Amino acid sequence: MKGCDQMAENMIEVEGLVKRYGKETAVNNVKFSVSTGEVFGLLGPNGAGKTTTIEMLVGLRKPDEGTARLAGFDIRKEIGEVKEVIGVQLQSTSLFELLTVQEIMKMYASFYPSNVSIPELIDEVLLTEKKKDRVKNLSGGQKQRLAIALALIHDPKIVFLDEPTTGLDPQARRTLWGIIENLKARGKTIVLSTHYMDEAHVLCDRIGIMDQGELIALDTPAALVKNLQSDSAIEFSLLHNEDVSFLDSLQAVKQVSNQNDRYVLYTDSIQLSLTDLIQQASSKNINLQDLQMRTATLEDVFIHMTGRSLRE
Amino acid sequence: MKAYWQLTLAQLLIFSRNRQVLFFTLLFPLILMVALGSFVGSGGGVSISVSIVNQDDTNASKEFIALLQETEAMDVTISDDLTIALDRLEKGDLQIVVDIPEGYGNAVSNRTEDDPAYSLPVYYNETNLSASELGLTVINATVDEWSKELTNYSPIVEIESQGVRALNIQYIDFLVPGIVAMMIMSNNMNGVAGQISAWRERGILRRMQGTRLKASTFIAAQITARLALNGLQALLVLLIANFIFGVSVNGSWLLLIGLVILGTLAFMALGFIIAGVAKNPESAGPIAGFVTFPMLFLGGVFFPISNMPEFLQPFVQILPIAHLSTALRETMNVGTPITGQWLEILILSGWAIGAFFVASRTFRWE
Repeated sequence: MKGCDQMAENMIEVEGLVKRYGKETAVNNVKFSVSTGEVFGLLGPNGAGKTTTIEMLVGLRKPDEGTARLAGFDIRKEIGEVKEVIGVQLQSTSLFELLTVQEIMKMYASFYPSNVSIPELIDEVLLTEKKKDRVKNLSGGQKQRLAIALALIHDPKIVFLDEPTTGLDPQARRTLWGIIENLKARGKTIVLSTHYMDEAHVLCDRIGIMDQGELIALDTPAALVKNLQSDSAIEFSLLHNEDVSFLDSLQAVKQVSNQNDRYVLYTDSIQLSLTDLIQQASSKNINLQDLQMRTATLEDVFIHMTGRSLRE
Repeated sequence: MKAYWQLTLAQLLIFSRNRQVLFFTLLFPLILMVALGSFVGSGGGVSISVSIVNQDDTNASKEFIALLQETEAMDVTISDDLTIALDRLEKGDLQIVVDIPEGYGNAVSNRTEDDPAYSLPVYYNETNLSASELGLTVINATVDEWSKELTNYSPIVEIESQGVRALNIQYIDFLVPGIVAMMIMSNNMNGVAGQISAWRERGILRRMQGTRLKASTFIAAQITARLALNGLQALLVLLIANFIFGVSVNGSWLLLIGLVILGTLAFMALGFIIAGVAKNPESAGPIAGFVTFPMLFLGGVFFPISNMPEFLQPFVQILPIAHLSTALRETMNVGTPITGQWLEILILSGWAIGAFFVASRTFRWE
């Protein structure tokens, strides 16, 4: 098998993928590579092109330009082989509601030449107690775990998870994180899309930030935050119509962002900036409401790069 | 092959768990059969109720009444009051009212060669023309016969009527093959179109497209599962018709089952085309209705195709439902063997093959 040669190197090579819908370019010249056993996150707001990128990689959409190789197989020429080495969990997948967990797993297993042990897989995604329940009666988190199990049924090398935790409660998200961490421990290469910063930070080895169809940054979570050059943020609210021109000239402040009168100052030195802010605000008789300090996050990285919030 | 069996099994499980669909797809044809069968078909043939108002009360009038009472085709009663009789006629209790006015006996017995024929007033309800006309014909024939007897007329030419087909076919016999054809059409077309487009909308098909499953395997499994289900349903309706309504199957059951399978294939393929054309499940229903509804009335389900207006005939003759209902009817009512139905079978096969060809081109996972 030709795919095996590249096992040690990059499991995924994406080369200039482009997808257009009419005049709109949904994905524009996206390039990245993922090495074996890595968890790669695609981060961005809704409509950034994450899902379209994943759909092109798994063979659900034909790219207009560019291509990608998954485990050495070209997605344009060898989609049959590609489908055998990948497992897919699609955004908002729905399954046959009237079948039970066990039945639907057996059915999906039959689509591939070989499959892993179904009882073991059910156990791994914590559905053993639910194995005889119909899909209809599962909770959102349980359905999502079943969807992940179906992606793993043929023991794929690469697993694509498209927003696996969207719409789940915090408890269910934590459970799912645990399952994804187990997958990583077993050496699976994982591509994960999300618009939750904390999730990307916890799970991903490297993150590609997408905005308006383009990959605008790609690095480890720590490096991305570090590259802000300002590791801290000061947040506060102001009343309407205040004169805020002084904020830009505060000591050590690198950037000011404003959303609905909620201001964030990015700074290298929280002490200098904060003292300066409070002094100036007092002398101008400006009331700083709900003042907070924190370290910068991926969310701040996104705002820094695009000027917009992730969940706008 | 593994995927084919698993998908077939899955579809059969889904069918068996969706009891509501199962129940109503079977209930509707059964109710239709019971309703139409018992309202229209009871007794076999049309019964005509005639009331005679005898205002004359002579031997001549009594003789005439006795003659009318002899005819088996009519249910003859005697009434005293013309207004009451006419009232009942208007309500539809009676189809014909014959009035024998006073002086009838005198006029008939004293009649000479040169007098004009005596006019007997006969009332009928125009809203029920077929029964009324049949009644009028019978009365005419009776009167005619009696006139000839009275005048000692001997006819030069006489017709001798003989039934050509010895089969005793009632409306229910005509109806059941039509209902089975209708059931095959609507269950398959609506069922396939609705389900496939709903699965597509909900992303169920998309998810399967992400696996190694081939479209042909998926479609083949669908066909197998539906063939099993719809074949069984049609067979159940036939058995109920056979045992409860005494609708006989004069031809071979094997041929009948073969026709059910052929019809299922043809209409299922049409359903796949509609599923491909429909943009969403909401439009699949109306599109399927748009196709099935005219076929229901034009395709010989409830009325014989020969009753259709002349200009519609060429159109009616190409409808698959027309050939399915004709073939089922020939097999059940007449007992025509397969050799006598090659045209129907050929046309149905043509529809099935053609439609599957188009369906395989228009099938979309998303």
